[in-house]
Amino acid sequence: MLLDPRHAWMRQLAAFGVLLAVWEAAGRADMLNPLYVPNPSRIGAALVDLFSDGRIWPHLDATFTAALGGLALGIAVGILLGVVAALVRFIAELIEPVMTVLNAIPRVILAPLFVIWLGIGLASKVALSFILVAVLIFSTVFSGIRQVDRRLVERVITLGGDRWSLVRHVYLPSVAAWVLGNLKIAVGFAFTGACVGEFVAATRGLGYLLSFAQSTYNAALMFALIVLILAVVLVIFGVAGRLEKYLLRWN
Amino acid sequence: MNLAVGDGHFVSLVGPSGSGKSSLLRAVIGLQQPLSGTVETNLARSQLGILFQDDALLPWKTARDNVALGLSFNGMERSKALAEAEAWLERLDLAGFGDRFPRHLSGGQRKRVALAQVLALKPKLILMDEPFASLDAIVGARVVRDVVALVERGGISVLLVTHDLEEALSLSDEVYLLSQGPRASITQHYTVPIPRPRDPVHSRTHPAFAPLYQRLWADLSREVDHRAEAA
Repeated sequence: MLLDPRHAWMRQLAAFGVLLAVWEAAGRADMLNPLYVPNPSRIGAALVDLFSDGRIWPHLDATFTAALGGLALGIAVGILLGVVAALVRFIAELIEPVMTVLNAIPRVILAPLFVIWLGIGLASKVALSFILVAVLIFSTVFSGIRQVDRRLVERVITLGGDRWSLVRHVYLPSVAAWVLGNLKIAVGFAFTGACVGEFVAATRGLGYLLSFAQSTYNAALMFALIVLILAVVLVIFGVAGRLEKYLLRWN
Repeated sequence: MNLAVGDGHFVSLVGPSGSGKSSLLRAVIGLQQPLSGTVETNLARSQLGILFQDDALLPWKTARDNVALGLSFNGMERSKALAEAEAWLERLDLAGFGDRFPRHLSGGQRKRVALAQVLALKPKLILMDEPFASLDAIVGARVVRDVVALVERGGISVLLVTHDLEEALSLSDEVYLLSQGPRASITQHYTVPIPRPRDPVHSRTHPAFAPLYQRLWADLSREVDHRAEAA
């Protein structure tokens, strides 16, 4: 019963608790340098601080806006380009190599470029989020449409469906399934883009706070921010997972 | 090539693989252009239905929505199409399964949904491309029995492509044998004298079955040997 697989989460939680306790004890026994590894209690206090004086909200707001804006734009443009490229050969010839290159490089290296082009405000972060997401979604949609099940296409045609019926009943649901299947990865990419963008140059945002904590050697704040970003992404993952499960319930 | 399928008749087309049986069906329904020549039928495109080997149901639509699809393509109002679809599901022993997605249906149930999808459009002739090959024996026999009963009840004719000679003889009124491709043609025509209504399983024990089977087998073997010689 103790090793019941259904209770794995309890054991994981307990192990995590033990780790925190050992960490805390080691810190209090002066075995860890608080400059590098602050005690969990100090990290917790830093986290509470961020919220108690309310100064976290504009930063959260900035990061969320950049990430969700980049996500929405990236999905929309990724789908659009993917569909167009899959349907028009000429366009595919032009876009595909660009996307292949963009896919191969770590796209965050574009961050400095976006800063000089778009400034240190919101736009450069949205742009970085966008480019991370759009390339992912493009590849998904582009290869997905080319792999649409021929049998489904033939089925709809023989039942008397026209071109529009094919788009509506075969292509759109297929595209939606691929996009949803990659939604979690896209969410992760969107937040990566926003935070890295803020890290490079910004006046607001969780990434900016991280870079501030780094320059002031504030390890407790750094840990607190990492925990916060983790929590934020996990919540969004949860929502994306629910959405995926509902919309792909046929699968 | 000239092939007649009488009203309410069940006709099978057998032949060596590569003789173009499937291509013929696909050309008749317009999924494929013949390499040369033309396809002429005395039926309108909307009077033809086709049942493939795979069920090819839309995985994101429920059984009922899948059946209603063809009806709405042909201009039926959605609520009416859904009611009609439900009626067809019931007729095919699928009452209560309308809300299930194809993934949550068994192979036999999916085949019945695919059948309902085709039947709902009230075709005069159903083309079948080895639709029962993927089903296991018992489930397959039940679906086949239902198909035969529907044909016998009237109005529908079937042109079945199969490589299963027993299936061809036990179901059909007539069987055509195609020669080895390319440029295959009809080489033999058999009339199956087993009376209707038939039970597809029991018709295999009818006295006329075995001699016909032997003839068909010998003729088909000759066609296959032809290929060996040519090669």
